[in-house]
Amino acid sequence: MTDTPLETDGATALERVVTSTDANTLGRYWLGAGSLTLLASLVAGVLVALERLDLGGAQVFGSADEVFQFWSAHRVGFVLLAIVPILVGLGTAVAPLQVGSDSIAFPRMAAFSFWTWLIGAGTTVTGFLIDGGLGAPDAGGQRQAVALTLVGLLMVIGGLLGATISLLTTIVCGRVAGLTLGRIPLFSWTLLVAGTFWLLTLPVLAANAVLAYVDLRGRTAVRFGAEDAIWEQLSWAFSHPQVYAFALPLVGIAFDIVPVSVRSRLASHNVVLVLTTMLGVVGFGAYAQSFFDTPGTPVMNEAIYVVDAFAAALVALALFGGLADTLRRGAANLGPGAGNRPPAPMVLSVLAMLLLLAAAIVGALRAVDPFDLLATSATGAQMTLTMGAAFVGAMAGTLWWGDRIVGRSTSQGLGLLAGLVAVVGVLLVGVADLLSGFMGQNDFTGASVVAAGSPDSGVDSLNLVALTGSVLLLVGALGWFANGIRRLTGAAAPSDPWGGHTLEWAADPSSVEVTSERPLLDALEGSGAAS
Amino acid sequence: MAAGTEFAPVEAPLARPRTLLVGTAFATGAAIMFFGALFSLYFSVRNDTLAWGAEWFPEGAIELKPGGSLMSTFAMAGVTMAWAHYASIHEYRIHGYLALGLTALLGIAAINQTVFYFNDIGLPIDHNVATTLLYVIVGAHMVMTGIAVLWMGLVLLRAFGGQATGRHQDLVISVSIFWYVVVAVYSVIWLFIYVAK
Repeated sequence: MTDTPLETDGATALERVVTSTDANTLGRYWLGAGSLTLLASLVAGVLVALERLDLGGAQVFGSADEVFQFWSAHRVGFVLLAIVPILVGLGTAVAPLQVGSDSIAFPRMAAFSFWTWLIGAGTTVTGFLIDGGLGAPDAGGQRQAVALTLVGLLMVIGGLLGATISLLTTIVCGRVAGLTLGRIPLFSWTLLVAGTFWLLTLPVLAANAVLAYVDLRGRTAVRFGAEDAIWEQLSWAFSHPQVYAFALPLVGIAFDIVPVSVRSRLASHNVVLVLTTMLGVVGFGAYAQSFFDTPGTPVMNEAIYVVDAFAAALVALALFGGLADTLRRGAANLGPGAGNRPPAPMVLSVLAMLLLLAAAIVGALRAVDPFDLLATSATGAQMTLTMGAAFVGAMAGTLWWGDRIVGRSTSQGLGLLAGLVAVVGVLLVGVADLLSGFMGQNDFTGASVVAAGSPDSGVDSLNLVALTGSVLLLVGALGWFANGIRRLTGAAAPSDPWGGHTLEWAADPSSVEVTSERPLLDALEGSGAAS
Repeated sequence: MAAGTEFAPVEAPLARPRTLLVGTAFATGAAIMFFGALFSLYFSVRNDTLAWGAEWFPEGAIELKPGGSLMSTFAMAGVTMAWAHYASIHEYRIHGYLALGLTALLGIAAINQTVFYFNDIGLPIDHNVATTLLYVIVGAHMVMTGIAVLWMGLVLLRAFGGQATGRHQDLVISVSIFWYVVVAVYSVIWLFIYVAK
């Protein structure tokens, strides 16, 4: 890397905050801001779940349009304002270390991208709060506020794209000698694959948003900017299969954590590289929008969509099988007999992979035509399970690399507890919404029994379970956030608390000879053999 | 050679792709996807509209002449950028600056032509779906052209400031990659919107 950070000597605290181009600092900014927007989006989710408890009429909100705005705000917020930024933050802080780079590529652009995203996130949230959002079924929103939300969304996409370009360029160009692309740690690899698919799909979302904005502004909308059509155009980005592309880095987190935890190598690093790439390919969701419906056959009923859904389930199963195999081979190194308790990040990353597998199975069930689940709450179940899996993966990642990023320790027990609460919450929401979907409850229930599409199916109990899950997810996120704050004042952390295998744990990456994907383990085994 | 007099093997320099070129390739790929999405929407909506027997563009509204004139401008700008690219690789600095300056000038001319055409076309943006798509696609391309021209201006300023180094060569190659895509996107607009209507 030839880029150097900006000179900040003599700058005020505010100037240092705004002008910092350090990868670690930017990563922490992304993590901090992403966790705050995560809490906001989960609060919106709880309110919508509360509204669903009484489908006889709007109780929490004033109208169906308001319900819709919060419902869509929860989805947009959960994906683009929370989970993706959190993964970008973790990547910005960890990926340069993993490839042995002393900085991130295009550091000024990386900083600019964060601030653009942050201002965009604020604008988007404001748009939702002032009766805008991404349109409304009854066109009851404020048009200017809808336009503001779209501008915010475009800034969010722009910020994420800039940060992704920075990150991918670092991974491609910043590697130390010997670290071929096939040898980079799996978190960096999945960032590379996921980031590539973000670059291929986020511009498509931006194109949809620009069309809606231009059509909306200042005149009667022709089609794209009509208030009841905006969400229909954009919703592909927040459902199957696109959510797999957003959640993909969680697989890398799990495959970096588990082998170190059980002190074992993966049976085949290359197979994991191929499988994660395949998950990225099946996660390309830009084709699944209503504009590409052929007359009489919605795109979601076409063969490609169904094959995509089943392929995702098979790939997720194969990946989980690979992880389970590693656990099995390293089982002797875990447990009381070995004097080595399973670390919290390992437990959470395995659970995250299980959630991803559950999400892929729900996605496959949803694509089966006779079940008629496409427009039902099974859509929300699949989204919650996938992005929930990514969140639990990110929790595991921050517990694993947090000591390295912040230099201070935090409570692994509290982290594990928060993670387990979040896992239970995600599962409750996912299972309840899937069953409600089978009973005919619409994805967007509106604010009346008729609009919910399930007047006689008795989904009330399931909606109560979903509300409980939403609350638990929020509690888990609060626990994770509190644990993160606690880390800032925690005791100094050891440089390598886990006995890591990859370069981020090396004191001087340039002095390590890289001949495989686990250079530090090679060095350890080499010194063991020599002695 | 006696032991002790051997030279230590010289470590080969690390052959990694150049940062600026890789970053530009990623950014250009994203720009291609943006226009790819707009074109896909255009063709999809156009097919549906024509299948229903409805009007797409009003008869005679889209003339070939302004679009063709713009295509000529972009074709010339593609050639001058190739000249700048070649000159940069072979370190013909004066040629490089001249070619880059000409390309920027042609880019500004293209923006001017587009603005004139927008004013002259006489079709309101909300006439129908086709006009909305036309304005969005051509307008977005104008913004892309503007970004490329600004980038060229930056490269020229750095060159006149005496920073013509290896990194400067990367800058010229990067802007040329982006510019070729600007020309390619306009070719699609010209062929499938102005000619095929």
